[in-house]
Amino acid sequence: MKAATWTGVNEVSVEEVPEPTLLNDHDVILKVAQSVTCGSDLHLLGGYIPFMRAGDVLGHEFIGEIVEAGSAVRHRKVGDRVVGAPFAACGNCWYCKQEEYSLCDNGNANPGITEGLWGQSPGGCLGYSHAMGGYAGSHAEYIRVPYADVGTFVVPEGISDTRALFASDAASTGWMGADLAGTKPGDVVAVWGAGGVGQMAARAAMLLGAEQVFVVDRVPERLQQVREHVGAEAIDYSSTDVLAELRERTGGRGPDVCIEAVGMEAHSSGAAGVYDQVKQQLRLQTDRPTALREAVMACRKGGSIFTLGVFAAMVDKFPLGALMNKGITMRGAQVHAQRYIPELLERMEQGELTTEHLATHVMPLSEAPRGYQMFKDKEDGCVRAVFTPGS
Amino acid sequence: MPLSDILARAAGLASEAGSGALKQLQHVRLPGVGQASATDDPETAARRWRAVTVLTDPEQLQAGTPEPLTRFGDRLEIRVTPAPGERGAELAARFRDRVGEDQLGELRSALREAKQRIETGEVLRNEPQPHGHRAQTPQGKVLDGMDERASKEGVL
Ligand SMILES: NC(=O)c1ccc[n+]([C@@H]2O[C@H](COP(=O)([O-])OP(=O)(O)OC[C@H]3O[C@@H](n4cnc5c(N)ncnc54)[C@H](O)[C@@H]3O)[C@@H](O)[C@H]2O)c1
Ligand SMILES: [Zn+2]
Ligand SMILES: [Zn+2]
Repeated sequence: MKAATWTGVNEVSVEEVPEPTLLNDHDVILKVAQSVTCGSDLHLLGGYIPFMRAGDVLGHEFIGEIVEAGSAVRHRKVGDRVVGAPFAACGNCWYCKQEEYSLCDNGNANPGITEGLWGQSPGGCLGYSHAMGGYAGSHAEYIRVPYADVGTFVVPEGISDTRALFASDAASTGWMGADLAGTKPGDVVAVWGAGGVGQMAARAAMLLGAEQVFVVDRVPERLQQVREHVGAEAIDYSSTDVLAELRERTGGRGPDVCIEAVGMEAHSSGAAGVYDQVKQQLRLQTDRPTALREAVMACRKGGSIFTLGVFAAMVDKFPLGALMNKGITMRGAQVHAQRYIPELLERMEQGELTTEHLATHVMPLSEAPRGYQMFKDKEDGCVRAVFTPGS
Repeated sequence: MPLSDILARAAGLASEAGSGALKQLQHVRLPGVGQASATDDPETAARRWRAVTVLTDPEQLQAGTPEPLTRFGDRLEIRVTPAPGERGAELAARFRDRVGEDQLGELRSALREAKQRIETGEVLRNEPQPHGHRAQTPQGKVLDGMDERASKEGVL
């Protein structure tokens, strides 16, 4: 079959690979209808998560049809149209029982690598490097999904593929950020990053009752989407001082909830930007935490911060003093998609949550290298490149 | 594997100079991060109990040694205690004799498998899987090696 693979730093190829087979009794094989680029893939592409092997199949946000099911699969059957969760989660361990699915004890077949890096191993993510389990991803005609009863969700007929697709990751990640940061009616929420994840976090905050929602970015097409499709206020950090702007617009308090949806390749200008770039390139720091630093400084006293952006290891110049003295709560997580997908599909069916605008560029799988290039460079207003392996 | 080695290997994939600089920086050890124990002497480290917490009834686990730990026969001491906060049972094991890193790796991997079999009924596999053409590169070899050892390493 055809698949889009990582073949080197900033190099994606489309090549012929063997088809997946059922490896465990809880597996299904899915015929992929749509599979989409995620900001997390850019960290892999850029070589910031150096556990990719040439030839590894990319992709972890997908929708398709079940064509084969293992003998222990009880609640899914051949022919079901399902959206998949990025993380493999068993549904039976203590973490899964707490609905912290991305922390599943039994989801990463290579736990030693991340235990080495982080002290404990979170779960495994499809198409996301050998550190996260070494699973083949969804940018392919077929994908194997482990623990299918837990990790796949039947899509109601009324929802289009392109809308449901984003329940997989962008929407469930955004929702998780707003939810676990404790967003409640009346809150002021600021989101850093207007990619798919940031936009969905802002939308979630609004649906959870936030009174005022800001999204910070500098890409004009994305800020326009924030105004038009999300209904939040856009702040262009390239033309204004974000901290001053937020203070001015929140009665001097700062946002109650700050959601970071940028990650370890954050852009910044001036001396601080150069400092972070150089340190990252020399591997003296692995991650650039520009937006996170800003969130800590912006957040109101006693407020909360949620880190959705992916970080791999170490950051430098983190304002811990501000965090501690202002009594801020900070959390982060990889997506517990299994916890949110059912509710998101309901809201999608009712038309409360729309995602189609994120799919700015839809193309056949054979054009994946061009799709990633456009996504990375934000060319032609690209927010997400969606591949259609079936066509 | 110590964190500094992982990061240095990672850095080595991108920049030799960077990895040198990083190693210098990393002589300031982060205690306990990335390895079973950072400051124990090898003998003490080898004698520590390796443990997993299994979401199951402790009494059931006490009834008999779970697969695949049985394959070590009586070379292991095994201890099962209830975990606090309704988290199930703590399953711990250690070798009676002095052993090397290879056998400790086998034990870690067996403990993880035992837990998985009890909680999910099977052991999750990730091979063979679709992948594209792979050239034989030194970096690829390092990663293949890490992959192979990944169930035997870590902090247990
Ligand atoms: N926690 C999870 O499970 C999870 C899931 C999906 C994605 N992610 C992560 O979330 C982050 C965002 O994902 P995405 O798909 O939306 O990525 P994306 O690359 O499409 O969007 C990132 C946005 O951040 C903006 N940005 C860069 N520097 C900034 C700064 N200093 N201040 C404000 N905005 C800035 C960019 O212009 C871009 O629009 C990534 O780090 C990704 O890895 C995490
Ligand atoms: Zn993602
Ligand atoms: Zn689990």
